[in-house]
Amino acid sequence: MSYLQRRRFLWILFLIGLALIAAVANATTLVRLKFADLAAQATAIARVRSLHSTSYFKNREIWTRTEFLVEAQSKGQLPRVVNVEMPGGIVGHLHSRVDEVPAFAPGEEAYVFLWAAPGGEYRILGWSQGAFRIRSDAATGTRTVTQDSAVAPLFDPVSGQFRPGGVRNLPLAVFQLKLKKALEAAP
Amino acid sequence: MQLGCTAQTSAYAFNMTVPDVRQPASVSGGSACPVPARQLTAAGSIALRWSTALGSNPATILTQAQTAAAQLAELQLVIATALSVWTGVSGTTLSPTALAPVSQTTTASACGTDGINSLCFNQADMAFTPGVLAFTRVVTADVIGEQLGGSAVSVQPGQILDADIYFNPGDPMITFATPPALPASPKSYDLESILTHELGHFFGFSHSAIWSAMMFPYARVPGTYASPRPSAQQPDAPLGDDDRTGLRVLYPDPSDTVHTGAIQGHVLPANPISLPVAPPGVTGIFGAQVVAVNAATGSIAAGTIGGWSCSLPGPTQFDGSFAIAKLAVGQSYLVYAEPLNGAVESTEIDNAISTLCRNTSTDAGWPPLLSCMVPPVDSGFTVRTWPGP
Repeated sequence: MSYLQRRRFLWILFLIGLALIAAVANATTLVRLKFADLAAQATAIARVRSLHSTSYFKNREIWTRTEFLVEAQSKGQLPRVVNVEMPGGIVGHLHSRVDEVPAFAPGEEAYVFLWAAPGGEYRILGWSQGAFRIRSDAATGTRTVTQDSAVAPLFDPVSGQFRPGGVRNLPLAVFQLKLKKALEAAP
Repeated sequence: MQLGCTAQTSAYAFNMTVPDVRQPASVSGGSACPVPARQLTAAGSIALRWSTALGSNPATILTQAQTAAAQLAELQLVIATALSVWTGVSGTTLSPTALAPVSQTTTASACGTDGINSLCFNQADMAFTPGVLAFTRVVTADVIGEQLGGSAVSVQPGQILDADIYFNPGDPMITFATPPALPASPKSYDLESILTHELGHFFGFSHSAIWSAMMFPYARVPGTYASPRPSAQQPDAPLGDDDRTGLRVLYPDPSDTVHTGAIQGHVLPANPISLPVAPPGVTGIFGAQVVAVNAATGSIAAGTIGGWSCSLPGPTQFDGSFAIAKLAVGQSYLVYAEPLNGAVESTEIDNAISTLCRNTSTDAGWPPLLSCMVPPVDSGFTVRTWPGP
């Protein structure tokens, strides 16, 4: 690609970005919950490790129950092993899918914001918004936290700057501090 | 990134299913290559009913009309319009004739895994939590001959047997407004846009990482809508070209002579040592978003999540392949690749990538030779093109 072609390409991308930047807002299926909202509305918040999942029919729908080992509790009272039930799963030859529902592989570690449904089962509050995965950088060993629904940067008309939305690649210790502050401020 | 290779990949953001090859080839097809979820498109084969049971306290669906009959008519028009957005795309077999007439039911809880596609505005499904606005539950079969309640018997793996759309009726802070009612309802969500997006799931789409796409996972704030309204001249106006291209890939029309172009290639690491050690067999970047931009207009023609290919009888190979198919011929395209670490996270297209493999861990008795494991999405790379400038 020549210099002129490359320059033209970059201009095209820049203009596309400008034209589309206004599209940022709430999820189609989800109402955006701020971190403080999640902390305030969660029945329980815990650092967990996924053990295994099972899918089944219940009330004419396919559900998946994931069993988590609770490693640390930040809010609420949870048993040592907590079951979380979410829509979707595989039963026999039927595959039920719902976008934005978080799924966990065995061994995965995360902070989950739980909400007790009227029947008593726990759900992930706001689905992908209430799941914060803990990942390790293979090279450095640094542990970071990323929210499943980490959103696009939002434009702040006052400062004229873009600011990040959601939690993405936050060092684990910083996330824990953020959570502590949110819980202290929660009503 | 190498261009012009011959990979056989079709990895748009669809909900994928790996057929159950533990079953005889006569019902599984004999291949462990993932197939996209899709509806049948023979005349009248896609039925959809909607529940006219509407809540009144709080009223979650706001209409301009005020009488009961006129409100239902206004809602019916929104449904018909949203459907026509998808059936209005040229070059697909998802034509208006594929749809059976939309029917009404007074059943309050019409949505359920019963083989009947339903749209429910007032069903307090147990899946809702605070913050959930609407969702679509899609049930597919992984073999031929499967039936669910009143559904048709599946004639291909990946066939959608049931798809239900739920709008949250139980949160007093959430309301939806029809297009005529939206200007006077600044705190309501645009019903037509959200329904059109959910119908994308109904037809087999997962989320797209393209900002201008209807299937981008984020919509406008309440009181606004993101894209042009559909019109008689252009019923598919709200869609992005990425949606249109995806629909042509999902429901290809053999008689379409316009959209027959394809761009294929690989996204490969400069240093193979950067590839993940586990699972074994990964030879290219997995999870890169590859985008084709129309060089003349600057608009995005399509994007796809690259990194895999599959040749019969499978399983999926993670070799960095990508293919953007069903592009209009006679056009020039610029292609770029980017990691999924920006507006869309890899977790948001999880349905499109986590279901590319099955193995003995996920399914007891799965044949080892047809097993694979999906590697982690690589979102930490920078891109150079080859050959370079």
